[in-house]
Amino acid sequence: MRRWLTFAWIAALRFLGEGRMQTGFILGGIAIGVGVIVFMSALLASVQANFTNRVLTSQPQIQLNPPDEVARPLRQLDGVVEAAIVQRPTQRILSLDQWQTILSSMRARSDIVVATPSVSGSALAVRGDASRSIGILGIEPDDYFRIVRLPDYIIAGEPSPGTDDILVGIDLANDLGATVGDKLNVTTGTGGSRILTIRGIFDLGNRGANERNAYVQLRTAQSLLNLIGGVTEIDLTVDDVYAAETIAQDIGAVLPVKAESWIVTNAQFFTAIWAQTLSSLLIRVFVGLSVAFGIAAVLIVSVLQRSKDIGILRAMGSSRGKILRIFLIQGGVLGFLGSLLGSLLGGIALFAWHNLARQANGTELFPLVIEPSLFVFSALLATVTGVVAGMVPALRAARLDPVEAIRG
Amino acid sequence: MAELLVLDGIRKSYNVGTPVETEILHGIDLVMKAGEFVALMGPSGCGKSTLLNIIGLLDRPTSGRLFIDGKDTTSLDEAALTRLRGHSIGFVFQYHHLISAFTARENVVMPMLVDRGRPDIAMEERADELLDQVGLVKWRDTRALNMSGGQQQRIAVARALAMNPLLVLADEPTGNLDTASAQGVFELMRRFNIERDTTFLIVTHNHNLAAQCDRVIELVDGRLTGDRRNPAINGVAQSR
Repeated sequence: MRRWLTFAWIAALRFLGEGRMQTGFILGGIAIGVGVIVFMSALLASVQANFTNRVLTSQPQIQLNPPDEVARPLRQLDGVVEAAIVQRPTQRILSLDQWQTILSSMRARSDIVVATPSVSGSALAVRGDASRSIGILGIEPDDYFRIVRLPDYIIAGEPSPGTDDILVGIDLANDLGATVGDKLNVTTGTGGSRILTIRGIFDLGNRGANERNAYVQLRTAQSLLNLIGGVTEIDLTVDDVYAAETIAQDIGAVLPVKAESWIVTNAQFFTAIWAQTLSSLLIRVFVGLSVAFGIAAVLIVSVLQRSKDIGILRAMGSSRGKILRIFLIQGGVLGFLGSLLGSLLGGIALFAWHNLARQANGTELFPLVIEPSLFVFSALLATVTGVVAGMVPALRAARLDPVEAIRG
Repeated sequence: MAELLVLDGIRKSYNVGTPVETEILHGIDLVMKAGEFVALMGPSGCGKSTLLNIIGLLDRPTSGRLFIDGKDTTSLDEAALTRLRGHSIGFVFQYHHLISAFTARENVVMPMLVDRGRPDIAMEERADELLDQVGLVKWRDTRALNMSGGQQQRIAVARALAMNPLLVLADEPTGNLDTASAQGVFELMRRFNIERDTTFLIVTHNHNLAAQCDRVIELVDGRLTGDRRNPAINGVAQSR
């Protein structure tokens, strides 16, 4: 007998040890349950982290644009509306009013990490007989690449465009039959036209983006789009990506700009994440419930098997409370040991999966994010589940009438 | 000798308040003195076990009062009864009821452990001493399950004495044993009675063993019908 254990612990551990078969089976059951939970949680966390990372590194978290142009109904002095039907005006490409002031006030904010101006508009890229419509984005590469990690996606050439250079997507390059060093004639709707050299080719992993996106220097875009000295948007990253919407609303309220956060522009992304989280939560809850029922069932049987022992212990002067504790401890110990085995099982499954499920070229699908807190949390949760599941059997044991129990 | 146990008009009914209410014990009055070695006899179903459970504080009488060592137990709540039971009363049952998950020594330690919460050397020494007295100290680390019925019952006697109780209640302790083992267990209890002055109340069907007790009480249909002392044995008891 371990001297440092109390009566309830000694009895609980002995009872578990004696019913080796039962204990083994239920531990197996708990381990599988916890393993599934650990595996699913880690996988989902990894998928979401990877997903979020991709979203966040391929677009600014907040975009400031000029406010929409609105037409006002024409009124006479006495308030009578002269033209009752008001058409929405066409949205010209406009420069942000006072953009240098806005930019410096953005850079002064403590919750904003990077602020950079850019110019965007549409254009036609022509090479030989082929032409494609593209969206050109004029950027200041050093700052912009801190928001969108384009250099990570460059597959040929370099991500440092000069004044007469352009970065294009892999699909556009293929359509135009161009490679790094080839020249494109880029013409915009406002009449600007320039010959630009392909400096780099990127693959953003999205066909639409690879066909349409093209990056040039800010000045190049300004002259192409006839917006000398102007910018059409200011892109921001913030320190807390999930606070982006609050910050955007704050900016929109103070400055004459339209501020949109990635949370609003990627509503579908959040729906997907939410659906994933919810479904996995449901699965985890039900796995947890079945584990709890398993523990309860085994302990109920154990109470029945040990009713004579319980009667004897009561006759010896054990209080109901002590008997209750014996079975609660058994539940907790089963939950805890099961969760240790389960964490091991889940960990092995994760690494096995990570090594087996590979992309066609053998690289990993996405990096695994395994937080130690996941294991601690699972162990804690399983232990609590065990104790709670032990409640019904324990109460039953504590309520046994010793006379009946001893008589059998 | 002080009165250890006083039963005053103990009645016990089952299914109280229903049409099938049955009274098992019809007003038992009994006085036992400290150090007595008493046999309780009677046909099956006469209420012997019920009486023993009431005296052992495992069950409450429907009416009547029970005094143990001068203390009225009728008004005690369950926690107090449990404590009193743990400290004052030892049990030996027909089917020994050792806890199979524990070794012989651990079974003897168990009442002390229940009382004090944590095991210590003193408990183990006490258990070894008792096991020595029942002649089983060699077997102390053997699981209770792996012993013969006679051995298990001797361990049960040692366990009943672990807390140095005032009273040991034995419900047909030899009913399940062969004659030789039965006599051995009986003599063991008798020896503890003589050496330690522990009071014993033993339910038995065995007239041979009953004849070796100080006093024989007979219970028939829930009433005490006989109460005689065995002069010869009494003489032995008095001569110590």
